[in-house]
Amino acid sequence: MKRLPFWRYLTIAAVLGLIGTAILVQIVRIQNSPEVAGITDQGGYIWKTFYPARGLIYDRNGILLAGNRTVYEVGVDLTALAPTKTHTTLDMEKNIALAVQMALGMDPAAALTKMTNAAAGTQYVVLEDYVASDKAEQLMKLQTDAQADPSGLNLNAVNFTAHLTRSYPENDLASTVLGYVTQDNHGYMGVEEKYDNILAGIPVTLRVPADPRLAGDYPTIEPGQTLILTIDRNIQASVEKILDDALTSTGATSGTIIVMDPKTGEILALSSTPRMNLNDYTQVNQIFPGETPFDRAISQAYEPGSVAKIFTMSAALDTGTVTPGTVYIDNGFIVVGGVRIYDWNNAAWGPQDMTGCLANSLNVCLAWVSTKMGNNTFYSYMKRFGLGQLTGIDLAGETAGRQKLPGDSDWAPVDLGTNAFGQGVAITPIQMVMAASALANNGQMVYPHVLYAQVRDGHQSNMSPQIVGTPIKPETAHTITAMLADSLERESSTALLPGYSIAGKTGTAQIPTSTGYDPDNINASFIGWGPLPDPRFLVYVWLEKPQSNKAASVVAAPIFKQVIEKLVVLMGIPPNLAQTQNNGQ
Amino acid sequence: MENVTQIVQHVRQANWRVQRQWIGLFLLGLVAVSMVAGIYLNITVRATLAGREIQFLQSRIIDDQRANSDQETLLAGLTSYATMQQRATALNFQPVDPGNITYVVVPGYASQTAVDMSQPGAASQGQSQAPVILPDYTESLFDWITSTLTSSASTGGQP
Repeated sequence: MKRLPFWRYLTIAAVLGLIGTAILVQIVRIQNSPEVAGITDQGGYIWKTFYPARGLIYDRNGILLAGNRTVYEVGVDLTALAPTKTHTTLDMEKNIALAVQMALGMDPAAALTKMTNAAAGTQYVVLEDYVASDKAEQLMKLQTDAQADPSGLNLNAVNFTAHLTRSYPENDLASTVLGYVTQDNHGYMGVEEKYDNILAGIPVTLRVPADPRLAGDYPTIEPGQTLILTIDRNIQASVEKILDDALTSTGATSGTIIVMDPKTGEILALSSTPRMNLNDYTQVNQIFPGETPFDRAISQAYEPGSVAKIFTMSAALDTGTVTPGTVYIDNGFIVVGGVRIYDWNNAAWGPQDMTGCLANSLNVCLAWVSTKMGNNTFYSYMKRFGLGQLTGIDLAGETAGRQKLPGDSDWAPVDLGTNAFGQGVAITPIQMVMAASALANNGQMVYPHVLYAQVRDGHQSNMSPQIVGTPIKPETAHTITAMLADSLERESSTALLPGYSIAGKTGTAQIPTSTGYDPDNINASFIGWGPLPDPRFLVYVWLEKPQSNKAASVVAAPIFKQVIEKLVVLMGIPPNLAQTQNNGQ
Repeated sequence: MENVTQIVQHVRQANWRVQRQWIGLFLLGLVAVSMVAGIYLNITVRATLAGREIQFLQSRIIDDQRANSDQETLLAGLTSYATMQQRATALNFQPVDPGNITYVVVPGYASQTAVDMSQPGAASQGQSQAPVILPDYTESLFDWITSTLTSSASTGGQP
């Protein structure tokens, strides 16, 4: 075998050795290059904050009330605006300013200023955030078209970053219940504020791997929890329409209607005026100027007037102070604490049983009842009914109102008489509804709430009904309900719906001012529940300062009837006759 | 002594042989290192490509979730109460009067209850979900050898 010359081996070894050495040098060089160091800073991880998608809100039937939609942050990569042979940086910036004016309607001077006035070293400037999809798509199209521009003046430096923002497909429907979300992803008022923490989820700042080989370590960010409300969209929409029409027909300045299931405390509809389109929350200060509450149902305390008589009578029946058959001779006035109290028409009504006192809404009779009970008993019951106290409803912005008590500096002996018929006490509509639930629900007072369930990881957790107290005995609840149903029948109330047995009470209340009671305006209200004997709804109507008439029986009772007309259809409640027939089959 | 030196010189390898052996050994080592480096490079490239694919899919998931949100909100808008009311009015539907409804007894009928959004088969709370990426795609060669040896030792080896 012929031996190869040694120099050939040496050459091969040297070449291979050099190649290997070059590879090693290259590896070391790349590993230590500034570009790679930037990527693999902190061991190949970078800090990043993740904002979870805000949880959705549905009504009780799974209809979306609050969702999310895509919007864009439009910005400019300033490093991509280096001058070329044909165009200066300013040319390119002006071109971008013109494009954003055409597509987004943005002031071109403002856009140009943002780019030209960027601090030295700035690589990226935001021109506009929360740009709607359709506008962003117009700008994207301009960008695509510009790439074919023969002048070479393109829009490649414009960047689009998509993200989600809150959207309310029903616009102003149930707006006072839902509340709204600002661009900083904070909820205000209603459910959005009350459940902001669980809806927004928890933003997480994590070290995430820049190295694709570690992509498996990428964190999973849980979105905010989905909420299902007790609200029924169809009932809510019907109630809102009835309320809006009522304000128009009566000339009332504002109004509130609440519909609740008296057995569970689930709020089926809660409407008050004014309302706003939640997709344009910037109007909030115009729609709710000054002290205007966002949701009167929970935030506005007022003197309820005669609807509060149902609590006075309940307390008196529960303690045995009176019975339905107790007769009171109404002389037209009564003196309590040295002050004369008159009936609403200043007339003497003569002998009246307790049902008659309720049917005719006699202030004098109820003041007599409260004085028979005495301070301790009367106020003890008002406290048990939760009047002047927070109900704890799961909506942001609830106020407590005030029930003056003996011993308070501003309490006077006459208050025992006036409080008996709902004057001299400030409560909210939701307190009224909660307290009345005891009468409609066998003496058990339920916690009013709007959250039906939470959904997380595919699991739904339903809220359980809560009993917050038993202010009266079951038999008392049955008795007062029967008396109220009887009183409506006696007066042939306009609240009655043929075929359905209803219990209810009107309330016509004077409005206090700094100089005494307003002689020209009243609060008109009606509270009722049915169908008896197994109520499925409890409805409260309150109209503030109606102008068409000054009697709640004329103004508020027909509104109540309109509401329950809708309810029996939407809830599929047959009339009493059909119920009886069906039960008999 | 001179003879002894000559004998030794005869049994020692020639210089060129020794040098060739060293070069051969060097090349052998180089080939071995190259093979290991090649395998490592191959695995790294595959892992990187898989990682890029994962990142791409994660990005797609986020885009799809956003698109789903858009579609769901759009659908809700198209079926909103106001829109449906307008459509019903346009089709000459009238609100029903309670007196016009006939109720009949349907044996076994359960009245409508509130929505249930539970997803069948969802993992119970607190129960961790199965890993999305198998260890085969993340473990190093050393990890694989270690786990293989460990599992072989724990099972007593194959017969």
